Amino acid sequence: MSSEDLIVHLARFAGALRERGVPASLSDEVDAATALTLVDLSDREEVRQTLRIALKIRKRDAEAFDLLFDIFWGTRRAGAAPIDPAARRSPDRARPLQRFGGAPGGGSPETDAESGGGDADVPGYSPEALLRRKPFEECTESDLAAMERLLARLALRLATRRSRRLVPTRARGAVDPRRSFRRALATDGEFLRLARRARAVEEPRLVVLCDTSGSMDSHTRFLLCFLLSLKRAARSTEIFVFNTALTRLTPWLSHGRIASTLERVAAGVPDWSGGTRIGESLAQFVDSHLDEMVGAKTVVLIVSDGLDRGDTAVLSRAMRAIRSRAKRVIWLNPLLGDPRYEPTARGMEAALPFVDLLAPAHNLESLERLIPQLRFGGGPCGPMNPLAA
Amino acid sequence: MSPEIRAMQEAMERHGYIAEAPIATAVFLAREMRKPLLIEGDAGVGKTEVAKVLARLLDTELIRLQCYEGLDVSTALYEWDYPRQMLRVRMAEQAGSDPSQIEEVIFSRAYLLERPLLSAITRREGPPVLLVDEVDRADDGFEAFLLEILSDFQVTIPELGTIRAEHVPYVVLTSNRSREIGDALRRRCLYLYIEHPSLEKEVRIIRSRVPGASERLAEQIGRFLQALRRRKLLKSPGVSETIDWAQALLHLHRDQLDPETVEQTLGCLLKDRHDLGDLTAAELASLVGEAQIAEAPAR
Repeated sequence: MSSEDLIVHLARFAGALRERGVPASLSDEVDAATALTLVDLSDREEVRQTLRIALKIRKRDAEAFDLLFDIFWGTRRAGAAPIDPAARRSPDRARPLQRFGGAPGGGSPETDAESGGGDADVPGYSPEALLRRKPFEECTESDLAAMERLLARLALRLATRRSRRLVPTRARGAVDPRRSFRRALATDGEFLRLARRARAVEEPRLVVLCDTSGSMDSHTRFLLCFLLSLKRAARSTEIFVFNTALTRLTPWLSHGRIASTLERVAAGVPDWSGGTRIGESLAQFVDSHLDEMVGAKTVVLIVSDGLDRGDTAVLSRAMRAIRSRAKRVIWLNPLLGDPRYEPTARGMEAALPFVDLLAPAHNLESLERLIPQLRFGGGPCGPMNPLAA
Repeated sequence: MSPEIRAMQEAMERHGYIAEAPIATAVFLAREMRKPLLIEGDAGVGKTEVAKVLARLLDTELIRLQCYEGLDVSTALYEWDYPRQMLRVRMAEQAGSDPSQIEEVIFSRAYLLERPLLSAITRREGPPVLLVDEVDRADDGFEAFLLEILSDFQVTIPELGTIRAEHVPYVVLTSNRSREIGDALRRRCLYLYIEHPSLEKEVRIIRSRVPGASERLAEQIGRFLQALRRRKLLKSPGVSETIDWAQALLHLHRDQLDPETVEQTLGCLLKDRHDLGDLTAAELASLVGEAQIAEAPAR
């Protein structure tokens, strides 16, 4: 195949990768084209490795890449000329892509090829946009993985807030004249080392209480995922889960991958996916942890659908105690995503007077909007609160 | 496999790095295309080692920049030697020199402390290998700055002007994926993901790095590690742990695995309290058994 054909083929391949949400930019294609001139094109494995290296295929995209590679660069043809899907034939080869929900309504081979080329400067963002709005209970296993990554990125935004406070720093920062002069005294008036100061990064202080009862099941995995990511971004975060009793998760969450942590947690928490006693669980929290963990700067986040089987008087007493100490109390309710829902569940009703913000948590978008509220200081709780009106 | 890549693989092996085809291909492409190579993979799979072996192979200097949170320009690029400048000013004052001359003197290259990035581009004797280790630990701001250096290979120092690279260095970046590396930086590089080694490769690594280990011990260690990694661990042991362990066993004069020794030396492999606690004596024994039995039919 001529080098021009090769480049066309490469462009189609990159287009197909993008359609499947594997980022491959124009500059990656240029790298790949250069790299292909350096290797043995008759060795299929070598071509595969070269493309992986030059197109910067991450581990998580490796499977999709391999699948498409086999389609585009011939599968079982060893030896002489494996990459020989001549330009005339390659559109046919590209056609199986439609099975992956690629080009919508793509008809003739020509339009397929064109849409592949036309997408060249549009990275595969659209799947992400869809994911953001997909309700958690409708997600498939592969969505889950993609969402976990989104969540992790989302939570990182939490910790990026810089306070206005200037604190001494050893690293970069503006010169701190006061401390510099003071230091200079020790060296007979010479400024040997300037003292510096920079704006402090403030981590929000969060305490999270998450419902893991049966009625929450379809949401739990995500919400926990989100909470774990939060914990990574703001290390002082404390996480509790409750169903019929309260369990402190924080010591279980040291580090490691989210999936394995989730398994560990599900195995270790008594009565996972059982019934709920929100009131008793919160009361337990108030008794044993409130004083040490909740202070004037702490935001308390409660995640529950409010479907309670316990005594509502206990619940409101506990909520009152929490409210009195915390900076803010935020209640996340996955059911709130349904426009028909009204917070009439008994538990919800009892807790509502002590909640600063009631917010939905049924998809990624809702969690995304929550982030600024969690930051130290928060914002006004108007627009997000469906009950404010 | 093309002869150049095979040659690279052999050369790497000669210099003590047993490279599978993807690794050799990546290093070859990085050298030919003169692009930075971004290497990701679990801790201890030999990411840093790639840069070291590349330096040995090219017979050049390895300049290492270890990243950490809060890494800044004065530790990565350059800094003026303030105390020396100050002394020079004092001396000049006493000699009654012309102030404008003093300024010219104290802001010259002689008073500039070169940090890794600057020394990498000012090295005169051919291009060095620049290793930017654990780039994921530095913050986003530094990543952007690195991007600028890696694309232009020139540095502007306000007092001195622009310094261009004498030779464009070979750059290797490593990341433990503690956070996502930005797309812009990734795009500037070639990308390699290093997996945990296969049994065969691991045994060869043990044999080459711990020459005292017998073939039997090396194979048992390799099998044990493969079985151990199949378990769900918070921190899977990497090749560097394997080598440590092999050395430890050698110091204990063991030439095969037994459950008791394994239990006593497990700290070489598992460095997380939960992982250690999760492994019961019975499971350990079965892992050791697996390492030994699998070997029997081969004999």
